[in-house]
Amino acid sequence: MKKNLRDMRPVYVVGVGLHRYQRLSETPYVTLGLTAVRQALADAALEWRAVESAYTGTVLIGMAASRPMLRHLGATGIPMAQVENASASGSTAFRQACIDVASGLTDVSIAVGVDKPGPFAMAPGKARMRDLVGSRLVPFTHFALLAQEYMTRNSVSADQIGMVAVKNHRNGANNPYAQRQKAKTLEEVMAGPAISGSLTRLQCCPIGEGAAAVIVASDDAIAGLGIDRKRAVRVIASVAKTEQIYRGAKNFDAELTRETVEQAYREAGVGPGDLNLIELHDAFTIEELLYVEAMGLCAPGMAAGAIAAGEFDIGGRCAVSASGGLLAMGHPIGPTGAGQIAEITRQLRGEAGIRQQPNAKTGLAHMVGVGAVCVVHILRKDA
Amino acid sequence: MPNRTAVHSELYSPDSNDNPPLNGGKCRACGYVFFPPQRYGCESCGAPPEKLEAVQLAGRGTLHSYATVHLHMGNDIETPFTIGLIVLDDGPAISATLTSRTDEGLAIGDRMQSVLVAAGTDQAGGEMVELRFSKAGAGK
Repeated sequence: MKKNLRDMRPVYVVGVGLHRYQRLSETPYVTLGLTAVRQALADAALEWRAVESAYTGTVLIGMAASRPMLRHLGATGIPMAQVENASASGSTAFRQACIDVASGLTDVSIAVGVDKPGPFAMAPGKARMRDLVGSRLVPFTHFALLAQEYMTRNSVSADQIGMVAVKNHRNGANNPYAQRQKAKTLEEVMAGPAISGSLTRLQCCPIGEGAAAVIVASDDAIAGLGIDRKRAVRVIASVAKTEQIYRGAKNFDAELTRETVEQAYREAGVGPGDLNLIELHDAFTIEELLYVEAMGLCAPGMAAGAIAAGEFDIGGRCAVSASGGLLAMGHPIGPTGAGQIAEITRQLRGEAGIRQQPNAKTGLAHMVGVGAVCVVHILRKDA
Repeated sequence: MPNRTAVHSELYSPDSNDNPPLNGGKCRACGYVFFPPQRYGCESCGAPPEKLEAVQLAGRGTLHSYATVHLHMGNDIETPFTIGLIVLDDGPAISATLTSRTDEGLAIGDRMQSVLVAAGTDQAGGEMVELRFSKAGAGK
């Protein structure tokens, strides 16, 4: 019989680590990745030899990224593989690590995300299905089209959408791992430069380099390896889906998010009202409005008002992108989804410092990626 | 109009008149209509290539959204230019470059039609044309 993650062995996040997201530098990817992994090991108080499988979410570095990095922790012979799933690569690497532990294949597994900007190839262009627009329609214009439609349908202004960037930059300013660590006023956000439609530069995420690492473990490992159970955060849902056919011009990003999150809610036995924080794919401001509505946090068309009222601020009813999100923390591609898990784990442990969402018990991580793909995890800290 | 070539020769004819159709595809098994055309298999029902047929889609539809682009890496077009998301009367939603460089005068719900515009010359000096969309009745 099929089982959900929650029906399998319990999986806990027991260690998280990050290398700051930053502009492209001379730092080798190996250094970025090892920084995050060593921090995660220290956080879990585990030795590398306790880790039994490793998945590296990476898109841009190239073939065979894992072992040239991880061998410097001591070559233990564990299975390693790269996970490429566009923007959801780090999320998918985390899901694979969870599946290993939940199934009983391992007691301790690690998901690493690491990337550096550079030349890369896109498979969809090799399908030889040219459309009319080609490179004239890149992601920022895809989301500018969604923004225009949203503004018209809901009588929302470009400034109201820009408020997402104000909130998330405010959060990023308090995150030492964020690529953008400066608060911005609405005037600064809207002053440009204009990119596409109503979207200005600060409403588009920066793509830089960085790394994130997440160690997951079973109950047996927690007991046997002396891991601090009070700081362990349980993964109560892991769902991945891909786009289906949505007739007409229905917004596939929001529809796919709605389907994936609904399944995650069912599997976890929670609803939108139970969420204390969300890290979502806010690569562009408009996405946060679309996705909080698709996740059922507010009625269609009401997200801009909810943001203006502070409902999604740290301290509000559900903190959205407390890390700064993709907009301010950044979107180095491979690390991003794993970095979301690191933020949620710190928040649920009550270790998020000045970014702490009070009394956070349940958090949701959401990434979408070219394909289109969507990966959602729900984490909970039991008292 | 001799020797004109289309920038996207598989998607429309360079010799059409005012309102050229688009080359789309249809699944004979489930009726799904799609653009751009492909011969791999039906995305809706999974029917094999033998069930897919070429169909022409009328170059008419309704504007679902639009965005004026200010940042572009290619040299195929100057910024600003405007991209429209158009739901064709024949079903598929497509993205197209609009004839108007900016979004001035555009509104969601506008009726749109296809039009061929000059797109420079090919290496042999022949005239090239590209299919764009404009507001219906607005001319070029």
